[in-house]
Amino acid sequence: MRPKAIAIRSLNQAPFALFVVVFVVFGCMSNRFLDVQNLSNILIQSSSLAVAAIGMTFVLLTAGVDLSVGSVMFVAVAVSGKLIFNGYPLALGIFAGMFVGLLVGGLNGVLVVRLKVTAFIATLAMLFIARGFGLWLTNTRAMNMPDSVTLLGSSHLLRIPTPVLVMLAVALLSHFFLVGTAWGRQIYAIGFDRETARKAGVPVGGLLMLSYVICGLCAALSGLIALTQTGAVSPTFGNQREFAAIAAAVLGGTSLFGGRGSVLPGTLLGAILFQTVENGLVILNADPYLYPIIVSMTIFLAVLLDTTRNQLVSRLSRRTIRAK
Amino acid sequence: MFQRVIQSGWLTLVLCAIYCLVMAPFASGFATFENAGNVLVAMLPLLIVASGQTIVLIAAGIDLSVTSVIALTSIAGAAMITTDGGPLAGTALGTPVAVAIMLLVGSGVGLANGFCVAWLKMPPFIVTLTSMMLFSGLAVWWTQSKSIYHLPSSFLFLGKNMWAATMVTGLVVIGIHWLLTRTLIGVRLRAVGHNAQTARVSGVNVRGTVLIAYVLCGVSAALASILITSQLETGSPVQWQNNLLDVVGATVIGGTSLYGGRGSVCWTASGVLLLALIDNSLNLLNLSHFTIMMSKGAVILLAALLDTLRFRTNGASVI
Amino acid sequence: MKPWTLGLNDIGKSYFGVQVLKGISLQLASGRTLGLVGENGAGKSTLMNILGGNTPADVGSMTINEQPYRPSNPRDAEDLGIAFIHQELNLFSNLSIAENLFLTSFPCKLGWIDRQTMIARSVSFLKQVGLNLSPKLRVENLSAGERQLVEIAKALRQDAKLIILDEPTTSLSSRESDKLFELLGILKSRGIAMIYISHVLRDVQRVCDEVAVLRDGSLIGSGPIYEFGESRLVSMMVGRDLDNQFPPRKTSIGPDKQLEAMHLSSPGAIYDISFDLHVGEVLGIAGLMGSGRTELARILFGLDSAASGTLKFSGREITNLSTSQRIVQGMAMLTESRREDGLCMPASIDDNIGLVVVPKYASKRMGVVRQKPLSLAIKTIRDAVRLTSSADGQKCVQTLSGGNQQKVVLAKWLLNSPKLLILDEPTRGIDVGAKFEVYRLIGELAESGAAILVISSEIEELIGICDRILVMSRGEIKDELTHGEFDRERILRSAMHTELVQEDVL
Repeated sequence: MRPKAIAIRSLNQAPFALFVVVFVVFGCMSNRFLDVQNLSNILIQSSSLAVAAIGMTFVLLTAGVDLSVGSVMFVAVAVSGKLIFNGYPLALGIFAGMFVGLLVGGLNGVLVVRLKVTAFIATLAMLFIARGFGLWLTNTRAMNMPDSVTLLGSSHLLRIPTPVLVMLAVALLSHFFLVGTAWGRQIYAIGFDRETARKAGVPVGGLLMLSYVICGLCAALSGLIALTQTGAVSPTFGNQREFAAIAAAVLGGTSLFGGRGSVLPGTLLGAILFQTVENGLVILNADPYLYPIIVSMTIFLAVLLDTTRNQLVSRLSRRTIRAK
Repeated sequence: MFQRVIQSGWLTLVLCAIYCLVMAPFASGFATFENAGNVLVAMLPLLIVASGQTIVLIAAGIDLSVTSVIALTSIAGAAMITTDGGPLAGTALGTPVAVAIMLLVGSGVGLANGFCVAWLKMPPFIVTLTSMMLFSGLAVWWTQSKSIYHLPSSFLFLGKNMWAATMVTGLVVIGIHWLLTRTLIGVRLRAVGHNAQTARVSGVNVRGTVLIAYVLCGVSAALASILITSQLETGSPVQWQNNLLDVVGATVIGGTSLYGGRGSVCWTASGVLLLALIDNSLNLLNLSHFTIMMSKGAVILLAALLDTLRFRTNGASVI
Repeated sequence: MKPWTLGLNDIGKSYFGVQVLKGISLQLASGRTLGLVGENGAGKSTLMNILGGNTPADVGSMTINEQPYRPSNPRDAEDLGIAFIHQELNLFSNLSIAENLFLTSFPCKLGWIDRQTMIARSVSFLKQVGLNLSPKLRVENLSAGERQLVEIAKALRQDAKLIILDEPTTSLSSRESDKLFELLGILKSRGIAMIYISHVLRDVQRVCDEVAVLRDGSLIGSGPIYEFGESRLVSMMVGRDLDNQFPPRKTSIGPDKQLEAMHLSSPGAIYDISFDLHVGEVLGIAGLMGSGRTELARILFGLDSAASGTLKFSGREITNLSTSQRIVQGMAMLTESRREDGLCMPASIDDNIGLVVVPKYASKRMGVVRQKPLSLAIKTIRDAVRLTSSADGQKCVQTLSGGNQQKVVLAKWLLNSPKLLILDEPTRGIDVGAKFEVYRLIGELAESGAAILVISSEIEELIGICDRILVMSRGEIKDELTHGEFDRERILRSAMHTELVQEDVL
């Protein structure tokens, strides 16, 4: 019993350990890696992924999953990019992009809650539908944004880079929502057992809906942050970012089986860790074709850790005879 | 009445017929013998992959890595025998060895997936999603994203000869159908899909059965890859990258359940036919590829909805 | 506390044209406890679901304090002071005790959970149910008995006027049950009304003031509990006198040992278990929940492995064989939970029955199943176990009653003609009629020369059908009784003995 409890404890701390390992390894391999400049770059680069991963955390906590995140990022920036490109004000573009996120998230919610479609299939279908729609909007062509967009991305507020500030704001809000409000705690209850939660009088449908909407909104915001950083909408924008978001959340200790996980420090740490690996690969001049391989291995590792922990937890809670 | 209709295995075939009747006046050249041949050729590889997918779905799993298996085996086989410097180019044994390698790679990926699901107890969809990313990444990295051309004619025979291709596909599909309906493995796959715990207590080797399901799925994806590669005369690291939805969609819309235990290759065949018809008619209507992408997304959504409806009305109490 | 009354008037309900409740009228007042008894499928749970707002009644009305009461969901029932504690506890083990207590009504300040108030109030509720635990503790760290008490604390938090308890003692040790009954007494004196549903009639008589008996959806009788003896209750439930709850059988113990367990141990589960089981013998294992009985059965069947010790079957060592190999040797096991590992619920009756035996009907090399002889064998066994819906083997198992489901599990194993059948709680949650059938089948199998191992919480059941009884406690065999010396009290004492000793030492 003891060793298992210790194993669970250490698996819970795995993200921190990984974090240290990654920093030490890259730090040894390249002296540029530990520059203050590079470290702040990592934070800035992480912001887009972190926001998407925070949204994903909400859905994962309910024991669901949202595979449409990358496509939502694309559609959102396609809509807002098109508006901005055609001379509409920046604020309207951002607003429209967020609205798209809300819409697709709501649609996912309706499919999962009302029509009772399995989450991964519903959102997998949405992945294709949304990307198809985005491609139609952009005519499968790249759009370059005016400078006002990229200026926003490199701007500072209170001497902190705006994207990082947005990331921190989203993380803090989500954290306090999940930890400190009734709805937040009820989301954990839903993830543990949906039927039991329903019987207990938890507004399951509404909260599931809310989780998917938040995930959609976060995906759109994440897309917009990335847009201010890259300055262009390309047909592959956001492609496979849902995997990165899942990886970040799971790396941060959020369980794919629902009911366990946190935004702070969990998902935020996971996202920064994920981005650090990518950043390190760039600094080491690794073959870009290697990225997907390394990324998928990272996800595999994270999921393996999660599965092991989940099994240990369920084995621990199994009835044992108390003869010592 | 409504329940009887949506639970019927024939529903998808009826949908196919209705679709043909509706489409015929709009898409010129749709209702011709020549086009029927086109539809047939187009559906052969999908039929093989989807039949393999049916096995995994019956065992309450899912294999999203099949498209990456197709890509990886496609370049693995082609790299061996391409006259642009393949190590086996020109030798008499080139084609058979290439085919063997492709099947080996397919079963290897299946083994890896099956091991992760059965022994490490990882959730199937995330395991196969990850291996999809990993192996297609591997294929792209290996070829540096270049396609491989100039394959020997002995390899291209299957793609050129429609009758041979149909025969091979037919044999594979009938084989899988036989396996699922007449043999012990079929019984065990179903039991594991319905309730793995019960199956274990009843003496079924659950891990072995799950492993077999994924290996068979990987092998059938490799078989489909042989057909596709020879049809297109190209080994490509992004082969079939966009067809993942077709595979899952065809299987589920045919009536095989995502919840496990319930499924048939016959149903899958009608699902494949429906998807092939949709693909073909939308192409004839000259619709862009993103429209096709969206309609396929809609189709799989419809399939999943049907599955939920079937599951809910299947005598099970909802309480 | 203000007096509180509940009235059910002429409640009726049908599902798909089948009437499951007919004209039920009941009254209950604060401070009274009503025992609700009846066979499975008698309509108890439907009635409680109507009361708890899970389903509406077709006809009839309910009143609370003479006011009409029409709940449209469980929340309405909760708001009017009705708390339903289900058999499977509805706690979230990933949340803390306090969060479980307040899940649907957190004390809030400006939208944020007011943790201080929540913890303070939780402590007071926990004190009322006699639990001395920190409310910040996650529920996953609690024992079954402690969780039951948390459920009751939850009912108190909801300011329940009526608490419905559905089989509350199934997963409790008898000490925990005693503690629970004590608490129920305190609640009663505080004026809380209770409905107590249980198959354990002794508990019903101990706890309740009144009793209501349901049979086939009708109220057969109700009144003060002292008017209803145990045997009268049973005969009312089944509609006939059951002098013989157990079928007669002649013992036919052979000289050969079918199973020999020697010094089996598995830390945390069982310790140094040794016993023999002869051909044709019915051996019972008595013990409280958590005494290691189920763990022993799983190790015998190869589902879990023992850390040390040896196991012989028909004189050959089988310690390292897998479950499937043991099945081939002639072992069979009916598990504790039909739903979890006994049946494939969405599959048909025939598919379930055929699952174990199908390799025998498959060709050696290709594994081709010979369908015709298999179906024939399945049909024969279906008739032998007297499945009520035996006409249709394609029917989904899910739609059967508990008793018929258990017969399907039995048929599955009987078809393989086992030499040893292990039964873990073979009559849990099935009605009296089906119980009799199960006993009959056990007797017949033993007479035909198979060895039988029965695990049960109902001591009467073991006394009724066994040739010999082993008593387990804390993972060890504490006592052994042969047929002549069966004694209810001695068994219970042995089952609880060490627990009390341990408690004294601590």
